[in-house]
Amino acid sequence: MARAGSTPHPRLAVVKLASCDGCQLMLLNLEDALLEIAERIDIVEFPEATTHHSSGPYDVVLVEGSVSTPEQLEQIHEIRREAKHLVTIGACATAGGIQAMRNWANHEAFRAAVYAHPEYVESLATAQPVADYVKVDAELRGCPIDAGQLMEFVTALLTGRRPNLPDEAVCAACKRAGRVCVMVAKGIPCLGPVTMTGCGALCPGFDRGCYGCFGPREQANAPSLSRQFVEMGRTPAEAGRFFAGFTGYAEPFRTVLTELGGVPGTTAIASAGPADRDHSATGASPRAGGK
Amino acid sequence: MTADTTSASGFLPRAGFQQLIDLLAEGGRTVIGPTVADGAIVYGEVRSVADLPRGVGSEQAPGRFRLVDHADERYFAYAVGPTSWKRFVFPPTLTLAESHRDEHGHVSFGPARKEIPSLAFLGVRACEIAAMGIEDRVFLGGPYTDEDYRRRRAQALVIAVQCAEPGGTCFCTSMGTGPGIRGGHDISLVELDDGFIVTAGSEAGAAIVGRLALEETTADQVMAGADQLAAARERIGDPVVTAGLHDRLLAKLDSPHWAEIAERCLACTNCTAACPTCFCTSVSQRSDLDGHAATTERQWDFCFTKGFSAVALGGNFRPRVQDRYRQWLTHKFATWIDQFGTSGCVGCGRCITWCPVGIDVREELDRIAPPPEVIAGDGHAAEARAPRTSVFRVESVRRETHDTVTLALSTEATPDWEQSRGEFVMVSVPAVGSIPISISRRLPTGMELTVRGVGPASTILTGLEHGAEVGLSAPLGHGWPVPAAEDHDIVIVGGGMGFPPLRPVVDEILSHRGRFGDVHIYHGARTPGDLLYKEELAAWAAQGDLDVGVTVDRADATWLGRVGVVTQLFDQARWDGSKAIAFVCGPERMIQATVGTLGSHGITQDRIFISMERHMECGVGLCGHCQVGPFFVCKDGPVFSLAQLGDVFGREGI
Repeated sequence: MARAGSTPHPRLAVVKLASCDGCQLMLLNLEDALLEIAERIDIVEFPEATTHHSSGPYDVVLVEGSVSTPEQLEQIHEIRREAKHLVTIGACATAGGIQAMRNWANHEAFRAAVYAHPEYVESLATAQPVADYVKVDAELRGCPIDAGQLMEFVTALLTGRRPNLPDEAVCAACKRAGRVCVMVAKGIPCLGPVTMTGCGALCPGFDRGCYGCFGPREQANAPSLSRQFVEMGRTPAEAGRFFAGFTGYAEPFRTVLTELGGVPGTTAIASAGPADRDHSATGASPRAGGK
Repeated sequence: MTADTTSASGFLPRAGFQQLIDLLAEGGRTVIGPTVADGAIVYGEVRSVADLPRGVGSEQAPGRFRLVDHADERYFAYAVGPTSWKRFVFPPTLTLAESHRDEHGHVSFGPARKEIPSLAFLGVRACEIAAMGIEDRVFLGGPYTDEDYRRRRAQALVIAVQCAEPGGTCFCTSMGTGPGIRGGHDISLVELDDGFIVTAGSEAGAAIVGRLALEETTADQVMAGADQLAAARERIGDPVVTAGLHDRLLAKLDSPHWAEIAERCLACTNCTAACPTCFCTSVSQRSDLDGHAATTERQWDFCFTKGFSAVALGGNFRPRVQDRYRQWLTHKFATWIDQFGTSGCVGCGRCITWCPVGIDVREELDRIAPPPEVIAGDGHAAEARAPRTSVFRVESVRRETHDTVTLALSTEATPDWEQSRGEFVMVSVPAVGSIPISISRRLPTGMELTVRGVGPASTILTGLEHGAEVGLSAPLGHGWPVPAAEDHDIVIVGGGMGFPPLRPVVDEILSHRGRFGDVHIYHGARTPGDLLYKEELAAWAAQGDLDVGVTVDRADATWLGRVGVVTQLFDQARWDGSKAIAFVCGPERMIQATVGTLGSHGITQDRIFISMERHMECGVGLCGHCQVGPFFVCKDGPVFSLAQLGDVFGREGI
């Protein structure tokens, strides 16, 4: 309330790690609202929109993408040092993204199979969410993030309140919208019951199951849901595969997926669980100070 | 119901049904009824008979719903689908209020302007009419009422249809709500193969029935209707024994069964969303980027979500799914009866069919509570009451600690609540939200509030300066029973931010000191820097007729006083508690410890009063968040005697 008009604008940077830029596009897609935002926030770094580069410190850094290379690992620690609030955006940054599927596979074998000169390619054995390495202050989930949630976050930032980003199942939004449960009425497997809301229950509105791009919600009972998929006639591996989307590396999806053997193309090694993280390239360890 | 209305009856041949729809739609009324959509029977707009599910039935089982083709002409040969009528009288999202703040910091609050649609509900089942009666009690039966609900409900015409085709998850028979229709409707229909027996149930219904081209109902038709109702009743059976369920359920709060259900329960909220009586809500703020114009939005909330029972600083009273499921089931079938006089369940079976993993309450319950009585749903309740938000101005700010201030607030409007003994107010900051704050002193033109900055709204409040404006509700809830404590000794124990709510008790005692016996005041804080009202405490101690004790958990170099938890101030004290009344407020763990020590001094549970902390959202018993056993903390408390709380006090996850 007592915010003085002379308060300097918050400095915001957008940075990308291993990602497709789709979440940055959601920010660009705010269009008219983006101009209003730019009058109140200094967007000093935004690779999808400008080649301008700046230096820290920043009030807010929006981080897109997962940590997939040694360079990104250094970068994320530097960002943390420069950021008052570090906010991860999108499934890659918050859960590892689709590239985290490699965490179940033999990284060296993949690299040798794909690249003619694998020795020129520097990558970590695993693609990890940002929170595995540094403290994250807030998350905007989704693949891509939701424009409404992004606006809510920005408005809350500017008005000094807590953003309203509810930690409830997709089902809650689905039922408020008056949609019919695709699982009960049509037998379509749906991750809505275990997935965090925020998308407005988009997929069930188009007659298909939620594929969990917002990632697991608090208390996600993925084992019970996977048992129900089997009950509905799926094999255990098929049931596991429903969890193997953009957020499959996030617990408890990861465990269900590992136990049921649903990682595409990796059935043979699935029982071994996710690959041990190879951080020898930098000597860094996830969750600084942790083991 | 008059003789005239019940005499309006007759047989409407199937070919004439469009006429009924047209008459219902007269005057701009929208007819809502069953339609086929997305593989289910969904209530939506019905303009013609072609919109109705002709020949479509449903097959229902736990976690499963499928449409089936009956290959007949009937429009209502299905059991209820996922939609319940509540979404039309209690919308899933609703703009409640608007607030503004101009550049000078002046604030204003007002209700949101909205039009209430005029609706006719076509195809309402007996169980659904019972559900409307239950919601009437919730929203219209208490001291505060939901004006939006009242207006929507009063506008709606209810066209009931006798149930002829129950689903595999129905148990209205056990709950005593169906399948026969027993009132609460404007018109009732009994569907037969070639038409409908139409009977008016209200004057509004009779006015419509009187204009239909009806034939005389034959005895055969009446018999056919009765036969199909009997067959429906037979098919449902009586799957749940209801006698004594209230007591049985509440006696099983510690059953291992809750953890077993939680192995399956997804806490996905589908049961509560589909339930025709679940009524919990949350509010949030939407605003422009500068926070100058904001709206307060209400939406359905569910006791299965994390945020539902969360409080400031990350605490959560129901952290586990088993806590949340227990809350839902025991409320629905037991504590609802304590609160509203009926069960919260009507046996419609939606929570069973629409549970994605098919949890079946019929199996989860051994017995179910006595059937609810249907309230005739005319929607005409007593004058609606809602807490108004008045603008208050900050007269002075006193800094208590590094993160806590005491605001003196006054209003120019003459408060109509001078006599209120309410314990707390809802404080509204435009674009940020409303939070409950206990009154820490009553003033002739307002009050003092002592606020610690822990969340966004409270942090803003602690930054307010002289002249700033905020919105305040009238004092809410039940406060400390100080008048009833006259002629007794008094023990006041306040831990941390639990002390401010007790300060008005001290004020009240001091203004009539001669009416009370010995008075002991104990205040504990984490550190010397967290102690509140230091000068007042010193002044009270100097007065000579008050026993004042102060302690801190952790001392610093400047502290010369007592160190230890607050109970150590009096666990060795010599006073006799047999004539004392105690008032206690603080963190729940501190209250539990204090209660034990007070007991050892001979203070019985009926003489110990505590103030409970819970997640409060609306402040008037309409949103459901702060429920503890049979109580809403905001409306029935926050001050309770221990005797009143019984074994609810101190129970984990309730």
